[in-house]
Amino acid sequence: MKKGWMGTTAVLLTASLLAAGCGSKGNEEKPSASANGSQGASPSASASGSAKTEENVNLVWYTIGTPPKDLKKVNDAVNDYIKDKIHATVEMKLLDWGDYSQKMQIIIASGEPYDIAFTSSWANDYFGNAKKGAFYELDGLLEKEGKGAKEALNPAFLEGTKVNGHNYGLPTNKELPQQRVFRFNKTLVDKYKLDLSQVKTIQDLEPLLKTVKENEPGLNPIPGKIAEFLPFDLPINDLPFIGVPLDTKEYKLINVWDTPEAMSYLETVHKYYQAGYFPKDVATQTDAGDYFKTGKWLVDVADAQPYADNLWSNDAGYGVVSVPMQDPITFNWSVAGSLQAINAKSKHPEKAMEFLNLLYTDANLVNLIDFGIEGVHYKKTGEQSKDAIPDSGYGFPAFTTGNMMLTYLNTNDPADKWEKFKEFNDSATSAPLLGFQADTSSITTEIANLKNAKDSTYNALFSGTIDPKDNLPKVNKKLKDSGLDKVMAELQKQIDAWRASK
Amino acid sequence: MRTFFRDLNKNKAFLTMVLPGAIWFIVFCYLPMPGALLAFKQYRFDQGGFFAALLHGEWTGFKNFEFLFRAEDAYIITRNTVLYNLVFIFLGLALSVSMAIILFNLTQKRWAKFYQTAMFLPYFLSWVIVSYFAFSFLSVDKGILNHILAWFGAEPIQWYADKTYWPFILVFMSMWKSVGYSSVIYLAAISGIDKSYYEAAMIDGASKWQQTTRITVPLIKPMMIILTILAIGGIFRADFGLFFQIPRDSGLLFPVTNVIDTYVYRSMKVLGDFGLASAAGFYQSVVGFVLVIGANWFVKKVNEEQALF
Repeated sequence: MKKGWMGTTAVLLTASLLAAGCGSKGNEEKPSASANGSQGASPSASASGSAKTEENVNLVWYTIGTPPKDLKKVNDAVNDYIKDKIHATVEMKLLDWGDYSQKMQIIIASGEPYDIAFTSSWANDYFGNAKKGAFYELDGLLEKEGKGAKEALNPAFLEGTKVNGHNYGLPTNKELPQQRVFRFNKTLVDKYKLDLSQVKTIQDLEPLLKTVKENEPGLNPIPGKIAEFLPFDLPINDLPFIGVPLDTKEYKLINVWDTPEAMSYLETVHKYYQAGYFPKDVATQTDAGDYFKTGKWLVDVADAQPYADNLWSNDAGYGVVSVPMQDPITFNWSVAGSLQAINAKSKHPEKAMEFLNLLYTDANLVNLIDFGIEGVHYKKTGEQSKDAIPDSGYGFPAFTTGNMMLTYLNTNDPADKWEKFKEFNDSATSAPLLGFQADTSSITTEIANLKNAKDSTYNALFSGTIDPKDNLPKVNKKLKDSGLDKVMAELQKQIDAWRASK
Repeated sequence: MRTFFRDLNKNKAFLTMVLPGAIWFIVFCYLPMPGALLAFKQYRFDQGGFFAALLHGEWTGFKNFEFLFRAEDAYIITRNTVLYNLVFIFLGLALSVSMAIILFNLTQKRWAKFYQTAMFLPYFLSWVIVSYFAFSFLSVDKGILNHILAWFGAEPIQWYADKTYWPFILVFMSMWKSVGYSSVIYLAAISGIDKSYYEAAMIDGASKWQQTTRITVPLIKPMMIILTILAIGGIFRADFGLFFQIPRDSGLLFPVTNVIDTYVYRSMKVLGDFGLASAAGFYQSVVGFVLVIGANWFVKKVNEEQALF
């Protein structure tokens, strides 16, 4: 009796599975064929593309940001504008900051159709997705449909975002290098007449911290975790103990945490922690609270761009000044701060590239997408400047897309802002590993172990909570036990091969 | 075939009742089953959709499982997962059964309802919220516990940096959150016991304690066995929220808070590899399956009537 039931159910289940399997197999032929066609024999692909120009192509574009109320209105305006230019329309889909990575991961993994998507080193992981084949290879498109974008970008952008020698995303034209700075609360700096001209490294902060701590006992001069700056370039950002010195000649990987630089840095932060310059629970702080609003802080660490002090002061409502710790350096992850990529399975990669290209060459379009409709969402106050209309119902993170140098300035921005950005980008030196992408497929086990080993101590060490003298050797031993040597040897091999191929 | 339809007709009321649950299981548990293949494959996106990637992905054998066993911490995470779960299962069983019996024996039914609701409430809170409750007690400079310690003139304790206390904190938090829920299940079972047993016992002069040990516990024993066997199936699955949120991801506590699930989560954050993640899930499920079968076999040996299947 029972057996009969089970048998029937099993048959039903198997049948449904087979049906699902067959269905997908049928579908899968098409996209791969079209992808091959357009990559291998581009004339035929573009011919079929031009034959279709009469029927309008609709591009689905996922990008990051809080969906504004008037998105539909602006989207319609965008479509009116581009319809005649590229014979395509675009459907803008904004996913909120916190959800973006996760939702995109599902969209990509499940094969949901889309054409363009935002990607970066910090959300919707660019390098990982590109390596796994999620994005369309842009090399060919950049020579044709994307020519304008290529010309607008500093070459280091495309060089630094290559994966296995190919481009899979189009970087936003914005600041290129990283420049880590100490950021100071100017109110306190003025009050105690602190001398910032002597500050360059973390060690130099001591007298300033001391003065403030003595005079303002209720205040933690460093309000939260600070990002370290050690002069090394890291092949895998999540494993900050494997690196080459920034001034390297031989590109030899070393254990960064086993260097005098790291020890000296950690001893300094430990000294600061014991002196009470950090909050007591800094190691487990999930966020440092809104110290910008309360003004209860002296110094923290941030990454700068030209005129960043203005930006921060506007944010805080009082003066914020910064002192650089380093000259601007272009790292892999700073180059990949913001890109737009085309879906590997997109049916219209050429159209998608035409649209992206407009974002780098057509000031009207970029300003429309970034700021909304003139007179509704912003007022023009000059040839190149505008003011946002408060609560107008539209906002878009401009840094996520296109050519920022084409966008209007805010009325109180210095007129030479974009000039300064270009200078900043040109002044940057390249990090030694710029353009190198590690292939982790043969060392996944070791990387998983190392990542756990790192997590178990990183926050405690780099917040100064534990003494590096006793603990750092222990940590280094644990890293060794977790396969550090094997990972370093494998990465070294890859770096040597990469250099030889250049 | 005819007997099949006759059965169908005879049991249609029960079958209709079971239908929603059955559909849920088919859709969310049986249909995704082929996805377990991912554990043995190298997963890539660009092969025309999920199923194609599943079918045509390169076979890698047991390579995806390696990271779980070759891990430097493999021993620690497995030990933590299993020991914590054993404590949760058996301490939870003892506490929730005793709580159910106490609630059942309360004469003031209004108060019993109140306690029951109050204890049930934590079950609905997310671990993220609970972690902030815990933080308000355990924070180094603002926490209630350190203020109490200071009041007695004791040194404040770095709760999130000192691993000695955490096995107790975690067990306490887990019990606080789950006992209310499971005691309601036992309370329902106790309420279903025929009152005449107790009346007969009272006439014979049995004390409350004797009634409990001789009537209540034996009669809810099948329920206890079923729930325990099912819980043992999850012994390799740790409550991620508990082990990740409550210690605030503090690295110094890893020796006592790192479990298989948090380990996998941390590794996947760098690697983002579906194959490895599936391998970890598959491994946990297989071990759970074996343990359920084993536990059932053991119960069957002792008392055939009370085995689950």
